[in-house]
Amino acid sequence: MKEFRSKLILILAFVALSIYLLYPTYQDYQNTKKIEKELSNFAVEYKAKDPTISEAKLKKLLAFKEDSIRVSNPDFKDAREKRLKLGLDLQGGMYLVLEVNTAKLLEKLAKDPDDTFEQIMKEAEKEAKVSDEDVVSIVARKLKEKGIRLSRYFGSIRESDDQIIKKLKEQEKDAVTRAIEIISNRVNQYGVSEPSIQPQGARRIIVELPGIAKEEEAKRLLQGRALLEFTLVKDPQFTFKIMNAIDAHLAEVLAPKDSALVDSLAAKDSTGQLSEEEFAIKHPFYALAMINPQSQVADAFVKQSNMAKLKNYLSRPDVQKLIPDNVRFLFSAKPVTTTKEGEAIYKLYLVNKKAELTGGVITDAQANIDPQTTAPIVTMQMNAEGAREWARITGSNINKRIAIVLDGVVYSAPVVKGKIAGGRSQIEGMADLDEAKLLEIVLKAGALPAPIEIIEERTVGPSLGQDSINKGFFSTVAGFILVAVFMVFYYRTGGAIADLALFLTLLFIMGILAGFHATLTLPGIAGIILTIGMAVDANVLIYERIREELATGKTLKAAVTAGFTNSYSAIFDSNITTFFTGIILYQFGSGPVQGFALTLMIGIVSSLFSALVVSRLIFDMMVKKGIKINIG
Amino acid sequence: MRIFQNTKFDFLGSRKIAYAISGALILIGLISLAFRGLEYGIDFKGGTEIALGFEKPIDIGKVRAELNKIGLGKVEVKTFGGETGVLVRTDLQEIPKDIYPKVVNKIEEAIKKLHPNVKYEVKEKTSNSITFKFETPELAAQISNELFKEGFQTSKLEEDNAHQTEVVVRVGIADWIKENLKTMYADNSFQILKEEHVGPKIGKELKVDAIISIVLALIVILIYLGFRFKFIFAVGAVAALFHDVLITLGLFSLLYGVTDFLNLAININVVAAFLTLVGYSINDTVVVFDRVRENFKIHKTAPLKDNINNAINQTLPRTIITSMTTWFVTLILLIFGGEVLRGFAFALFIGVMVGTYSSIFVASSLVYEYAKKGNKKISF
Repeated sequence: MKEFRSKLILILAFVALSIYLLYPTYQDYQNTKKIEKELSNFAVEYKAKDPTISEAKLKKLLAFKEDSIRVSNPDFKDAREKRLKLGLDLQGGMYLVLEVNTAKLLEKLAKDPDDTFEQIMKEAEKEAKVSDEDVVSIVARKLKEKGIRLSRYFGSIRESDDQIIKKLKEQEKDAVTRAIEIISNRVNQYGVSEPSIQPQGARRIIVELPGIAKEEEAKRLLQGRALLEFTLVKDPQFTFKIMNAIDAHLAEVLAPKDSALVDSLAAKDSTGQLSEEEFAIKHPFYALAMINPQSQVADAFVKQSNMAKLKNYLSRPDVQKLIPDNVRFLFSAKPVTTTKEGEAIYKLYLVNKKAELTGGVITDAQANIDPQTTAPIVTMQMNAEGAREWARITGSNINKRIAIVLDGVVYSAPVVKGKIAGGRSQIEGMADLDEAKLLEIVLKAGALPAPIEIIEERTVGPSLGQDSINKGFFSTVAGFILVAVFMVFYYRTGGAIADLALFLTLLFIMGILAGFHATLTLPGIAGIILTIGMAVDANVLIYERIREELATGKTLKAAVTAGFTNSYSAIFDSNITTFFTGIILYQFGSGPVQGFALTLMIGIVSSLFSALVVSRLIFDMMVKKGIKINIG
Repeated sequence: MRIFQNTKFDFLGSRKIAYAISGALILIGLISLAFRGLEYGIDFKGGTEIALGFEKPIDIGKVRAELNKIGLGKVEVKTFGGETGVLVRTDLQEIPKDIYPKVVNKIEEAIKKLHPNVKYEVKEKTSNSITFKFETPELAAQISNELFKEGFQTSKLEEDNAHQTEVVVRVGIADWIKENLKTMYADNSFQILKEEHVGPKIGKELKVDAIISIVLALIVILIYLGFRFKFIFAVGAVAALFHDVLITLGLFSLLYGVTDFLNLAININVVAAFLTLVGYSINDTVVVFDRVRENFKIHKTAPLKDNINNAINQTLPRTIITSMTTWFVTLILLIFGGEVLRGFAFALFIGVMVGTYSSIFVASSLVYEYAKKGNKKISF
């Protein structure tokens, strides 16, 4: 049996690898079941506590809970990341293509637009709807026809038309970057798990939001204008006072019923040595929002895994009562640092609710390297009205901090060094140029809202998704059984071997999909079902050939060898053409269709391996052992 | 068990009959394509499509009659899934001008219902949104949220002080349809199963992409087969592919709108099915050609006709068996795969049959015809 060993090891290795790659999917399925059970318990508990709780509120609480369960256990997280992902058409969700409305952008950028300009814009907009030419080129062409230089409306007088066109196209690209930042920011706050936001080409953004239940809400998130605010950060004394009050209150209401534990805590209190668990009981707020007592500022540090829980605490009505009406807690937009284990840490700020100034006054922002200090800086320019206000605000708040807040998260909280007159400010303290660039984007969001339009939108509700999963699963099983029974009926032992090969083909397809982090879509499932029908083809070709060879009077051994060898060219040529169409399909399609093309291609490779290597090995081994193979 | 073993059919001899059948099928298809055309989904012509699942069974005829009265012109209304599902499709991109006042009216009614004495002005009307101006920012925020709860698409308030009293309500085709259905079926609530909106530009792009990809697939196959076999084999195979695609497409044209069970609108999934059908059909043809090639190598002096006939007969069991297993699974997909995949499954269900037929009766016959006419000798 020595000659078979290497092949056998190869096959077993592939089988083991596929199972290994699919194991997280199974784990995640089990975890989800477990979490669902836990959540239903919580739902009962919440309802018992507050019988009048509204459906929406309950959902929100449970979503918080689910989040914190998922992040708290690293195994859950790991399995979730490595699982075979389901496409939007299966788990429900939204797929959107957004496009920057260049015409609106140009109108915003234009200097003293007159009637001629508006007339041209109107024509250009109309033309752009049916033509492949982009708006910038159309406008440039139309102005040229009229003998007007582009510098009349855009850029500066010294610049040539080509330079200005190039600049305008850059503005277009900038708008895309800005829109992506705004959308990611809002989507993250909304709590969509595994969103995907990517630019496509120069002017488009593809947004995928899995599991969005309320598409109206999501659309609202995407289309509204971004809100940029400058708001004062509260001083440490004020902040600590509120935090202490929340901490004490939470410790009281969340206190464990176990009196022995409380006693032991009380006893330990005098010695001042608290373990982590004990600290969490004694100081539920500070356990999540860690503060540095030595620091001059009262910014708290929050681990990513604790954010959901903390938000939950802060949204409790009893806690809300402790926070004055004119202030609010806000998180930083990006992690400020990481733990030793690599977990992201965010900052928590207490800021004034009422903004000192909103972003509409900003006319420009620019990230740069300070030539003297080589530190990254951002300069921002305000209009006359804004500059006046800004001088007043900065003048009366010297040495205080002003938070730059976009859609409810803090991007930066620089300290005011002195009164800024003239509307030109410089912001320092960024770690690197990337951070400065991000702040530039954020500030520009206030100056130049990126006008974006939804040009394609596909939403699948969760019930249709689940229905598709059920139907897909049923069809796969039914297809498999039907083909498997037919093969055994028609080819007897050979059929059984083909069925084993078919089963392995399915295992390999799923394994490879999971290994590639590919997404399983409904057309993808259709691809798998189709593969079930077509995968036996290689075996059928071989068996028919073996029958022919047997009919010419060959021995079984010789017939098997000849059958396999003579079928190779047909199998190869026929499958490679199908594979080609798969590649083309993959290039052409979007999301779901790509999923189909991918499973089709993986299906071809897997079924060839199963037929040519696996069934061949079984045949050879059986022939060698002298077992008679009945192929019908 | 064995079927079609050691057959000695004279396929090439009866090729004239096959030509007649194929010709008739293609002709019927072409006539239907010319006069009836195809039903396109919104993927290619742009527009809005929504599928709704009602709580209780619903009379599709009534929904159709009602929706044709809401001012969107002729709206396509079909069943979706079972008797509680409704699919509504229109290729309109925005609310038509003549019913626009009605839409505004509906929103104003809702505002009046919530706040009977509220003062407001309509500040701006564009083709897809209406801006209302209220007296205070607080009132504006409140009404925005309340309208949103009522199912209207209100947008976030503008940031600068000048616009804080304004509420923007989006008016899209889908919103208008949903709003009307909500009033018509107050006692039978529905949920959105899916909602799709494709802009005219995207539709055009997808159409071009689809055509390019099918043409590209045919060219790649032509080149590969020309390289692996002889050029005339490649031509025969690709001609057979045209034959398969035309007949299946003709059937799509002939049968759309005939029964509620079959939704035969051409969408991206159906194009994917056609490409797969091309891949499947070529697979079948190549197996026959491979045998022809082998026979030529063994029986160099045998007449072309015998060689081809033998090859088809020898591969016949395999052709039939593989077609059957593939046909089984497409049948399962067609019946159990659900509404979303039905058009896709139907294209393959028909395509597998036509593809099998063409690789037995058409592809090789064309090769033979070509070789005979040009008096060419084929050798490998």
